[in-house]
Amino acid sequence: MKQLSIKINGKQFEVLVNDHEMLSTVIRERVGLTGTKIGCEQGSCGACTVLVNNEPVLSCITPALRCNNSEITTIEALAVDGKLHKLQEKFVEKGAVQCGFCTPGMVMTAICLIPNLDLKAGMEALRHQIKEGISGNLCRCTGYKKIIDAVAEYALEIDNSTSKICDDSKGAVGLPRPYIEAEKKVRGAAEYADDIYTRNALHCKFLRSIYSHAKIESIDTSEALKLEGVHYVAIGKELPITFGVLPISQDENAIAVNKVRYAGEIVAAVAADTEEIAEQACKLIKVKYFPLKEFLEIDESLNDVGENEKIHEYGKFNNNIHKKAELRFGDQQQGIKEADVTSKMFFEFEGINHGFTEPHAATAFWDENGLTITTATQVPHYLHRALAKVMEVPLNRVRVIKPYLGGGFGGKSDPFPHEIIVSHLARKTGRPIRVRLTREEVFLTNHGRHPSKMTVEMGISNDGEFKVLDADVAIDGGAYGSFGVVTSYYNGVLLQAPYKLNNFGFKTYRVYTNKPQCGAMRGHGAVNSRFAVESIIDDLAHKIKVDPCELRLKNFLDSNTLTVGQYRITSNGSREALLKVMEQSEWKKRIGKLETGHGLGAACGFFISGSALPIIWNELPQSVVHLKLDFDGRVLVTSGSSDIGQGSDTMLAIIVSEVLGIGLDKIFVLAADTLLTPVDFGSYSSRVTFMAGNAAKDAAENLKNEIIESITKQKNISADELNFSGDRVFSNDKTIDLPWIEVVDILTAKRGAVCVSGKYISPKLGGDFKGAGAGLSPSYTFGSCVAEVNVDTETGFVKVINVWGAHDCGKALNPLAVEGQLEGSWHMGVGQAISEQMKYYKGLLLNNNFLDYKIPTSIDTPDIHANIIETIDPEGPFGAKEAGEGAIHPVIPAIANAIFNAVGVRITKLPITAEDILKQMKENKFLTEKTIV
Amino acid sequence: MVVDKTYINALSIEQAHSEAIKCTSGFRYIAGGTDVIVNKFQGNDNAEILIDLTGINELKQVVTKENNIEIGALVRLDDLKNYKVIIDNFPALLEAANSVASPVIRKTATLGGNLLCENRCIFYNQTEWWRESAGHCLKCNGNVCIASGGNKNCFAKFVSDTAVVLISMNASIEVFADNKISVIPIEDIYSGDGITPLKLSKTAIVKSIHIPLNNEYKSVFKKLRQRETLEFSSMTTAVTINKTGKLKIVLGAVHAKPIVYNGNITDDFNEILNALISNTRIIDNDVYSRAYRKEMITVFLQRSFKELSLLK
Repeated sequence: MKQLSIKINGKQFEVLVNDHEMLSTVIRERVGLTGTKIGCEQGSCGACTVLVNNEPVLSCITPALRCNNSEITTIEALAVDGKLHKLQEKFVEKGAVQCGFCTPGMVMTAICLIPNLDLKAGMEALRHQIKEGISGNLCRCTGYKKIIDAVAEYALEIDNSTSKICDDSKGAVGLPRPYIEAEKKVRGAAEYADDIYTRNALHCKFLRSIYSHAKIESIDTSEALKLEGVHYVAIGKELPITFGVLPISQDENAIAVNKVRYAGEIVAAVAADTEEIAEQACKLIKVKYFPLKEFLEIDESLNDVGENEKIHEYGKFNNNIHKKAELRFGDQQQGIKEADVTSKMFFEFEGINHGFTEPHAATAFWDENGLTITTATQVPHYLHRALAKVMEVPLNRVRVIKPYLGGGFGGKSDPFPHEIIVSHLARKTGRPIRVRLTREEVFLTNHGRHPSKMTVEMGISNDGEFKVLDADVAIDGGAYGSFGVVTSYYNGVLLQAPYKLNNFGFKTYRVYTNKPQCGAMRGHGAVNSRFAVESIIDDLAHKIKVDPCELRLKNFLDSNTLTVGQYRITSNGSREALLKVMEQSEWKKRIGKLETGHGLGAACGFFISGSALPIIWNELPQSVVHLKLDFDGRVLVTSGSSDIGQGSDTMLAIIVSEVLGIGLDKIFVLAADTLLTPVDFGSYSSRVTFMAGNAAKDAAENLKNEIIESITKQKNISADELNFSGDRVFSNDKTIDLPWIEVVDILTAKRGAVCVSGKYISPKLGGDFKGAGAGLSPSYTFGSCVAEVNVDTETGFVKVINVWGAHDCGKALNPLAVEGQLEGSWHMGVGQAISEQMKYYKGLLLNNNFLDYKIPTSIDTPDIHANIIETIDPEGPFGAKEAGEGAIHPVIPAIANAIFNAVGVRITKLPITAEDILKQMKENKFLTEKTIV
Repeated sequence: MVVDKTYINALSIEQAHSEAIKCTSGFRYIAGGTDVIVNKFQGNDNAEILIDLTGINELKQVVTKENNIEIGALVRLDDLKNYKVIIDNFPALLEAANSVASPVIRKTATLGGNLLCENRCIFYNQTEWWRESAGHCLKCNGNVCIASGGNKNCFAKFVSDTAVVLISMNASIEVFADNKISVIPIEDIYSGDGITPLKLSKTAIVKSIHIPLNNEYKSVFKKLRQRETLEFSSMTTAVTINKTGKLKIVLGAVHAKPIVYNGNITDDFNEILNALISNTRIIDNDVYSRAYRKEMITVFLQRSFKELSLLK
């Protein structure tokens, strides 16, 4: 070790460091400034950006000893005397902060960029300079638009903000607001799972299988245990109880028992004094494997395995099929007969990873209250249940806390092996145990979008009426079940809207393969099949020579109707959404008139707004929210829902604020701590705004009723005379006009703090046939996109230059947050469309890092134009529905359809590669058939 | 016991060199380190001693001497744009430098480091666990090239973007090795062996990069990559002509070394293309297929020739 003299944020430190230690370790672990984040550990994501002698560096790849006698500036130093730097203020005001994990690095990069910008270059050129300047900082949430807005406005000293940091004098639905915690995030003060310091904690590292499918014949941990600093080595048989997010797929052990099912599966875990010792100990563990035949592709897994061993023992047949789902409505044969034109295509999709910037991390300890785990999870409730089951303790001995969370997108919505293992190690060692996965381990943990193959056929009459839709789908689930049964259904059922279909059916097979497991990811289950359907609709429009937008408009379902599979459609903004993007993109004026290589494409989408059925059958409400109002006038909102960067804590505060007519400064949200907060099922299936929002509204109305009752009693006034607004309660004639604190005095007199509860229970929905529950939701969302692309006809390279999108979210409770969700969804869709894929070599993920897994950077991201469509859902809180997932559906096929429009080739494989385009262009006579209408 | 490691901040070339020759176990010089440190994380570089050169100020100068510009090896890629002589004479070098990694990395990465950056392959640039699982390839002491299936040659890609342009402009490097200084054409430092891609001795230190002035170079640089930032090259071309009608073409990321064509502007395009392509050794070790990368050589060179008005 060597002594390092370093000044950090103006304070001199003399620290002993390991010779090869990185600057990020010094800043985070030795000095304790955790605003600097670790996202990739190889300089590809930018989350660790700090200034060394006023220049930005990536601290995760900067040797600490190089910085001897240097001055380091981290995010924590930007605010002076407690006041945010103006750039930080802009990030907050513009909604540039979502999960906040990339934010400190992004701000540090931007702050150095600004002096070098050519401010006189004009707005477009300036934005391009900013895009280029921040292009080494990945953001998975925002689509970069609001970040670029923030930097541009700061640089130009202009103010176009519709929101203001301190504008909390009145809480109201529909006002654009930064997240309530945005300031904390932009300061670097928000603590994520790996930022929380726990005294005396040991570190955990895993030994992972080098085989995709093998028997474990023996494990020898003796050498590892001899290493100084090693406290415990755990193997699979210590945790024999299986778990999984779905009750019907409890098929995973925290540590492999007897056999491994994918390369990368955990076979042993070490608890040691340091990460380095734990890592070294893992190398000393000797595992003897007996390799089994691997099943790596869908087609292999559909077949009889013969004499070979199946991946999982259970299942009636001698193959690796996990789930078969099939539903049929109407008469598809008849539908084909009635169709004048049909289109049948085969589609292929690579797997996709969530790419959240915060790696999984957790700390667990045991004390007199049992187990406490602080972990990056979207579903504290289901983790709570899984931990109790696997640890074999009553539910009341488990506490799950979700701290600030750096993005989820579905990838943190299962209980995970590492969460169970650190709990186990903590029990065995009597010490807190910490773990942070490497980016490679995050990819191995996966649970991302399933690789899929499907054949989809649609038929249409010559006058443009959809007659039939049939989908035959196979999805690659990887080694374990996860949400796969749901995914199997969603690939089919979520095709029954947004268009009228009388004859509709699908069949899905989900197979096990010896690869990291797949699960739920933004737009769960229906993104790929939606791509197929929207591509086919484009093809049909081309065949019958009608405008593909007009064709869609002709076939949309109405509001207040039932689909063929008995989904109850209430509010429906399909039509408005499509008309909006047509107008904005000048569709009518431009379609068919663009030169070769330049194209426009449109597509639509549809998604659930919360699953009406719980994952684990029980009669708990979908969500419960508690409010406590005490003498100081503050309303404490407690909710089990998880804010994963999508802004749900703010949403709860806005709803309570609206009902009670008080400012957000009087509302405090405490969420996602299973000891302190009532059960909410979690942040999945786009359920939080609708369900937790309704529960919060119910709770606030109950509190309001308590207040009304107390005032009417004391003031002798009728309840319907009272108004709640502007931090006051007043009668219509203002004879009674009470400031909030007096209202609170009246309520709490001789009673003390008042606690109320609110809940949301889904209505009974759906048909009575088997499988009717899949995709049932109390409300559905709808949306459209038009994409504009340039295709290089010599290289096949696609540049997406514009995305116009519109999404029916019912009512935007917080338009700034809704826009952010939409922009982020479309950005993520651009990635799946043209650059992202999980690429395997013999079951090994080749691109398990942020250099090779190609999330679009700021330069690769098109200009995104977000439109909010409001249809005021009759059952949503103040009319609101989801906005976080459904929007991704239309953007991917819109891009593919734009490519067809540009160069006349129909790509049916994602991601769309330059090579595929070029190959097809050579085979096609695109120049003569390019024009659509 | 966890192995002790050493880090040495060298303040002069002599100090760095004398520390290096003292090392009995593995050592490595690091400049910016943006390549070396990532390789260390992945276990591809196990040097226990790192000798940091960034404190050597004499390697950070840009000077004009006689008919050359001499760029210190430690000049950062981002700093190249601050020199008028580079902007005026070698815009393609700036373009190449700006195509490397990301803006923040370019504030750390150096020109010398980019010339010497390790060859890459999707089967090699992986963690220790991954490589053990896949079976070790030739470049990590295994017996077979996973990408090609062969067992003799490693064709891990040569990926320096700046080298391609510099070679096309007949640039040289000044090297301190074996207690003497020599000036070597850049193209001569690459061995063509993906396992040991540099001919320089391990203790050699690159002092500076020399580019001839007054040749009125016109260059076109092109890089094939999926995203417009962050990426290592999938295929790179640099085409340079000078005032006397000499033509020099360099291809990158198509072999373990740069592929060079020396000729005249009057040479037949198809013959040039054939000569170049026949020397490439493209294997499937990249996000783009071998066939596509090969096909793009033609497209990029045609475009470059058109931009230089050598083709219509």
